[in-house]
Amino acid sequence: MPEFSGHLSLRAATRTHSRTILAAQSFRAPYHLSKPYWDPDTLTLLAQVVNPTAGILSGDQLASDISVDAGAALLVTTPSASRVFKMKDGTATCRQQFQVAAGAWLEVMPEPLVPHRGCSYRQTTTIAVAAGGELFFADLLMPGRVAHGEAWAWHRLCLETTVRLAGELILRERFHHTGEDLRALAALAGSGPGACFGNAVLIAPERPTDAQWRASLDTLHGDGLWIGVSALRRGGWSIKWAARDGIRLRQGLRDVRKTLARYFPHLACDPRKL
Amino acid sequence: MTSAPVTNTDAAWLLGLLQAGDSFYPTGSYAHSFGLEGLVQQGVVSDRATLRDFIVLSALPALRHTDLPLAAHAWRAFGEANWPRIGELCVLSSALKTAREARAASENIGRQRAELMASLRAHPLAQEFLQRASAENWPHASAVSAALEGRVLGAPLTAVLAGMAYATLASLLSAAMKMLRLGQNAAQYLLTEALAATPAIITAAEQTAFDDIGWFNPWLDIAAARHETANSRMFIS
Repeated sequence: MPEFSGHLSLRAATRTHSRTILAAQSFRAPYHLSKPYWDPDTLTLLAQVVNPTAGILSGDQLASDISVDAGAALLVTTPSASRVFKMKDGTATCRQQFQVAAGAWLEVMPEPLVPHRGCSYRQTTTIAVAAGGELFFADLLMPGRVAHGEAWAWHRLCLETTVRLAGELILRERFHHTGEDLRALAALAGSGPGACFGNAVLIAPERPTDAQWRASLDTLHGDGLWIGVSALRRGGWSIKWAARDGIRLRQGLRDVRKTLARYFPHLACDPRKL
Repeated sequence: MTSAPVTNTDAAWLLGLLQAGDSFYPTGSYAHSFGLEGLVQQGVVSDRATLRDFIVLSALPALRHTDLPLAAHAWRAFGEANWPRIGELCVLSSALKTAREARAASENIGRQRAELMASLRAHPLAQEFLQRASAENWPHASAVSAALEGRVLGAPLTAVLAGMAYATLASLLSAAMKMLRLGQNAAQYLLTEALAATPAIITAAEQTAFDDIGWFNPWLDIAAARHETANSRMFIS
């Protein structure tokens, strides 16, 4: 199988009538970009990034760089889960960078990552938001191909996220558990053998309605879903959830977006319009 | 020939670390459960067995990958008067804690520890740290303050990390005894078992690269976040 050195570069900007367009774009396999869709109801440009190959393989090096200029609003999503396949040796890496200007909105909402047995994968996400910029970034992780009886069987998995607001570090996370450790933690918490995780960051200036949406999100807790919301050291929120299975995981994200959309209207953009 | 009595410097820093790690030392840590109360409220930690699992699966890895490496890097930075790196570590410590209560606990305890070092020991390093932290608006961090204590006392790195690990585990178990049906002897069994695993953790933490610092337990973060709005609670965090 060939190794990919894939790259994706997007820059969203505003043009006439305040519509967001892709002012610059380039990509190379395995990335492919569908034709973007302008959603007039939420004033958001929807861009869908497709990986037409089976998934991520040993030696793949993926890099993406997405920026949103002032006044623009962009939702980036994927149509299907990202599978990371078994690797006899070697590793795959994904480096993704997002920049959000003042007065801009960016939502990044890929379908879940599914690490297969014996895979080795490192994902590095770096987010830079200017003062006055807003962002919703969600990362979903499934434990493996649960339907095949495979879970927590990766060889190495490291997911790193760094968020800076106006140049200041406000969040740094490293998720690099062994599958065995995570299985044991899931069992301790009672989330079951197919537990999945959602990890979202919302960057937005403080507003009087924050307590309202936070209370609404808190009510989603229960029936196979744990959810917690907490303020970052400044300028944003951490929203984490753990679900008993992939269905509940996705439902959790839909409920989070639906709840937040009342306060952050761009989140009402339907990612499945395309 | 006369000679002045030799001061045993090892005894001096050892006594200092014992003082700083004692529950009698007013750091305010007695008011925190460091997320454990949230997990008790969620029914995850309910007895000795589940508490042991929590220590093995969550408390020790957090020490291994986050707090001890932060302290190790800070101890080295204090030794080189590398103030930009110390500021970076203070911010990193804060950014690594996404649950507000966990962050506030570290900041409050860290501030108190640094201020105690400056006032009790009148040490210029502690005083300069406080001045710079205030001027640069650095968040305080318990791990950085533990490193500062070590440097003020003249303690070697391994001893500083051992003292920090002991204080963390003992504080956690002390909180657990207030929430669970757990006796003193049972708590000491758990503490002894955790301490047996600690030397290897310290060795690994000393070698952790700056970019590799960080680890989190998703369920602990969620429980800590929910603890912020719990109807009743015994601990601040």
